[in-house]
Amino acid sequence: MKYRLFGIIIVLLLLAWQTLDGLIEGDWGRLEGGFGNLSIFFSESMWPPDWSVLEPRSYPVCESNIEFFCSVGYIGMMETIKIAFVATILGFIGALCFSSLAARNLVPLYVSIPVRIFLSATRSLPSLIWAILFVIVIGFGPLSGVLAMTFYTIGYLGKLQYEVFEGMANDPLEASRAMGLSRSSILLNVVIPENSNHLLSQLMFMFEYNVRHGTVIGIVGAGGIGYYISTYLKFLQYEKVFALLILIFVVVVFIDLLSMMIRSFVNDEGDVRRPTWLNLILSPKEE
Amino acid sequence: MTQSILSLKNLSVGYDEPLISNINVEVLPGEVIAILGTSGIGKTTLLRTISGLVRPLSGSFDLNINKRGGLGYIPQRLGLVRHATVAHNVSLGARVNIGFSRNMWKERSERTMQALEMLGIAEKANEPVRRLSGGQQRRVATARSLAQRPQLLLADEFLGELDNLNVEIVFASVDQLVAEGTAVIMVEHHDDNALKFASRIWNLKDGVLHDMTIEEWKQQPRGGEEE
Repeated sequence: MKYRLFGIIIVLLLLAWQTLDGLIEGDWGRLEGGFGNLSIFFSESMWPPDWSVLEPRSYPVCESNIEFFCSVGYIGMMETIKIAFVATILGFIGALCFSSLAARNLVPLYVSIPVRIFLSATRSLPSLIWAILFVIVIGFGPLSGVLAMTFYTIGYLGKLQYEVFEGMANDPLEASRAMGLSRSSILLNVVIPENSNHLLSQLMFMFEYNVRHGTVIGIVGAGGIGYYISTYLKFLQYEKVFALLILIFVVVVFIDLLSMMIRSFVNDEGDVRRPTWLNLILSPKEE
Repeated sequence: MTQSILSLKNLSVGYDEPLISNINVEVLPGEVIAILGTSGIGKTTLLRTISGLVRPLSGSFDLNINKRGGLGYIPQRLGLVRHATVAHNVSLGARVNIGFSRNMWKERSERTMQALEMLGIAEKANEPVRRLSGGQQRRVATARSLAQRPQLLLADEFLGELDNLNVEIVFASVDQLVAEGTAVIMVEHHDDNALKFASRIWNLKDGVLHDMTIEEWKQQPRGGEEE
């Protein structure tokens, strides 16, 4: 069994290698000097990061007591987080409605197939294209960003959700169906609570994804930190771009930790009482 | 004459091939029936067919109960929402029979708490089900049916994993339902429990359902016939 798995991995790697070779038409020479170029670009253009992005802007004049709140980094990041937050919530609720109509263990096939096609269509447009569409329809600004991310979230989360629903144990569904609970009641009181761990994980992942993609959709004018990144790129201020990328990385790590904490309330992990690091250092006997 | 709550007419159950054929029996309100038989003989399939989860291969059955909430079902794996609290699971039973009204929430909550207290798990009300032991989870599943107050309760090995004391507690609560007219059909692996609580036995053997009284069951020759 162990050797078979090893063999499968080797075959897959060879297949990937062969496909890549076909894609680049065997021209491996293009990689030559690539890492050198990258290190020159990084050391000369991006390093050290320019942390002036965390200092207050010269205009408009800062009215806050904390100057950081007037910085490009804070303003851009907060706008991205707000766009991602609203889009994730709206998209999550929208996705729940559609995924419950797409899961084959919850609805008949003639309902699930059209809904799946709709979700595929929504997902097949990347958030960047959605953003361009909404910028055309309603103009520049965060609203375009929110709508673009909401639509993409519905398609993306919808698929993840209906796959989770289809993978759930059958016995709670059977018991509630036999008892005579309505479809909506089964969804709200059985399916969603039973899959809460996965749903929360997906929700937090999507929030993180939307924060990261806020940088991309901002470039086409849909608001957020991407707007500033796009501006700095145009003026070749790569040190500032690098500083903003570090800021995004910190926020993404923070969201991941938050996700871990929130999910601990609904998974078995949270049932195990463990000493905190603080308790370990200060008073191990009290735990 | 009391109207039957369930009547099976020439019913054959199974998936591809019939496991039990030509079943003709009736169940009256307040009866407790234990289905006995060796593993794989079709006990669970018969229960799932009556609950409407599996289509009969042939024949039919009539259920004279309320369409909504008249049937209670405790599957072999209990069918509990593991990540929800004990109270939430039990309230699902109460939710089925209590329609929309101003006092809906209060009634649901009262019925849920009554059921929890009867099964001795009221102090676990706010615990997630996944933290409970197997025996406690069985009590939660029973409490859910108690809160539902069905006219027909189908229970698949719901006394398994319970010690004698807990079997008594669970059955005392089910007895209350029976006293109110609920019929119970339970799949049992332990003859002792079946004989203690059932009023009739459905003995599944060689693809045939033998409907018998407790006395008839006791008089059966033993030795290799039962597991």
